[in-house]
Amino acid sequence: MSPLISRLAILLSFMAVGAALAALSGQSAVGLAAGAVLWLALDSWRALRFVNWLARIRDNPATPPPRFFGIRKEASERVQRLLRKQALEAAEHESRLHNMQSALQASPNGVIILDEQEHIEWCNRMACEHFGLDARRDLNQRVTHLLRAPTLVKSLAARDFDEAVTLESPLSTAARPLRLEARLFPYGQGRLLMLSRDITVIEQAEAMRRDFVANVSHEIRTPLTVLTGFIETLQNLPLDEDARANTLKRMAQQAARMKTLVDDLLTLSRIEGSASPDEREWTPVRALLQRCEADARALSANLSANLSGQDAPRHEFVFEGVAVAGEIAGSAKELQSALFNIINNAIRYTPPGGRIEVRWTPEPDGGARFSVRDSGPGIAPEHIPRLTERFYRVDSDRSRASGGTGLGLSIVKHVLQRHDAALRIESAPGQGACFTATFPASRLRAAPATAAD
Amino acid sequence: MTEKHLSSQFDSDLNRVSSQLMEMGGLVETQIQRAVSALANYSVALINDVLDTEEKVDALEVEIDHALTTVIARRQPAARDLRLLLAISKITTNLERTGDEAYKIAKRVKSIVESGESRKMPIGDLRLASDLAAGLIHRVLDAFARLDIVDAVAILKEDDLIDQEFKGFTRKLITYMMEDPRTISSSLDLLFIAKAVERIGDHAKNIAEFIIYIVKGTDIRHSSLTRIESVIQ
Repeated sequence: MSPLISRLAILLSFMAVGAALAALSGQSAVGLAAGAVLWLALDSWRALRFVNWLARIRDNPATPPPRFFGIRKEASERVQRLLRKQALEAAEHESRLHNMQSALQASPNGVIILDEQEHIEWCNRMACEHFGLDARRDLNQRVTHLLRAPTLVKSLAARDFDEAVTLESPLSTAARPLRLEARLFPYGQGRLLMLSRDITVIEQAEAMRRDFVANVSHEIRTPLTVLTGFIETLQNLPLDEDARANTLKRMAQQAARMKTLVDDLLTLSRIEGSASPDEREWTPVRALLQRCEADARALSANLSANLSGQDAPRHEFVFEGVAVAGEIAGSAKELQSALFNIINNAIRYTPPGGRIEVRWTPEPDGGARFSVRDSGPGIAPEHIPRLTERFYRVDSDRSRASGGTGLGLSIVKHVLQRHDAALRIESAPGQGACFTATFPASRLRAAPATAAD
Repeated sequence: MTEKHLSSQFDSDLNRVSSQLMEMGGLVETQIQRAVSALANYSVALINDVLDTEEKVDALEVEIDHALTTVIARRQPAARDLRLLLAISKITTNLERTGDEAYKIAKRVKSIVESGESRKMPIGDLRLASDLAAGLIHRVLDAFARLDIVDAVAILKEDDLIDQEFKGFTRKLITYMMEDPRTISSSLDLLFIAKAVERIGDHAKNIAEFIIYIVKGTDIRHSSLTRIESVIQ
């Protein structure tokens, strides 16, 4: 039965009952009307209930409907179905938006979405790390109010988005520089997508490559110039035997210096280009350390003698844990050169009379720490991350005078990396320096497997 | 600056002036950073950069003042809007002077580089203080953009650190000059740089005071920290 006919039937039955009741008093027309009015009142009351329910269900979709009949029952069911469908669609949209946002969050780039007025509409975590933004507080903030780098402001003002903008992050410090590249992409109607990425390492690598060729040429040219000078002297001046011997001795020194430099360069390129050293070659740690100790004392004595005669003050050495029983896996030659390079550095940068402490400390996890602490002048924090760069010099006059090639710490770093070890440098101006190499347990073993004695 | 006015034109006027101020702030910030790293690396290229930016900062100051006059004459603002515009006017002055200090630092660094005495001078402490000052200017501009009075108060407190560094550095320079009179001319240059750094800290402090003025409507210049803190609550 269609709802319309059922409504009509109810109305008619109300009227019929009214008429029947009124027929007793002979006024059936009044009864007919009274029945209709009663039905109208009842129907209006129910309609009111329906409207109230609609108002409530809008705020809380779970509100159960009161008992409805007929046409309103059907209407209420349709409303509920519609609302359920809407809720499902909304949830689906929400989860899709959430997925999109998670994808943008996972991006290794900083992502900032700008609206038509260049207000920040959304930004991901990486963007916050790059620019020091607060993902919640800084929404609706005009982007140029917080990212004030003139290059970016200019590009936004000119709406010129063809080229990437490089800028210094506001969080950048001398010890931890952070250079960023930002790209703007217009989309929709006047909206902008801003991507940023960290280019600190790339810029450093580029600078290093640029510097490398210049440095190598410079380092080789210096002794060559001296050599050429001496050769001209020998060619043009009649020298007596003593002067000749002296000149040749100094030529030999310069040639030796060039040879050291080229040797270091070759070592570097060899350890960089070749495969990881054999892990089955075991060397007693004690042998390595004892050789380091002997070399260190010899070098210190030699330096002092050269500097101010035989009775000059020597370095004060402390060697601890040198008589360790374990063995280490890897290339003995490389390890020897890396460990001694660290000590060599300490000796050259610590004035005679200073104190140098060399320690081999086993770690609880089976690894070990090799540390060299000196009482030298120390290193300013901004130099520390760059010390292992080739030819990086904190003070170029000093280090060349002390006979370094500028490659020692690069070699140390590469050798240690090849042996799964890490180099840590701690220092502050005026407080000496501490270089620590940490070897993992996998590279060490306690006792020799093939005990000869 | 999120509250809307009946006249959306007024809103966009206010926004434009604020944006210009932030642009000027960005320029001054870069100037300081460049001056500071010129000091750290004795780099002449950076120095010229600082000197060039000076003109742009001056031009922006004039432009902002003109825009402010126009907005005040046309809109006759009251309450917070008026405070915002007045504060922007004062902050502009402070920023321009901050730029001047960066300019002075750059010129003095240039003079030290040209004298060839650079290697021997004790600039470690000075760099610490100048990093602090550059950081304060950055933070105070952020605080203005966010109208963040909590950070503004923190900046007021931190300015004292720079003042202490300045005093310590002056004492150190005196010992240098007593030990070796040849360092006097470089030491004097460094003293002027230290003074400029100290002034940058003071300008940051002034700007922080105006941020509190915009938000709270109370002029807290020359007041004690306890009074300032009672105003904030």
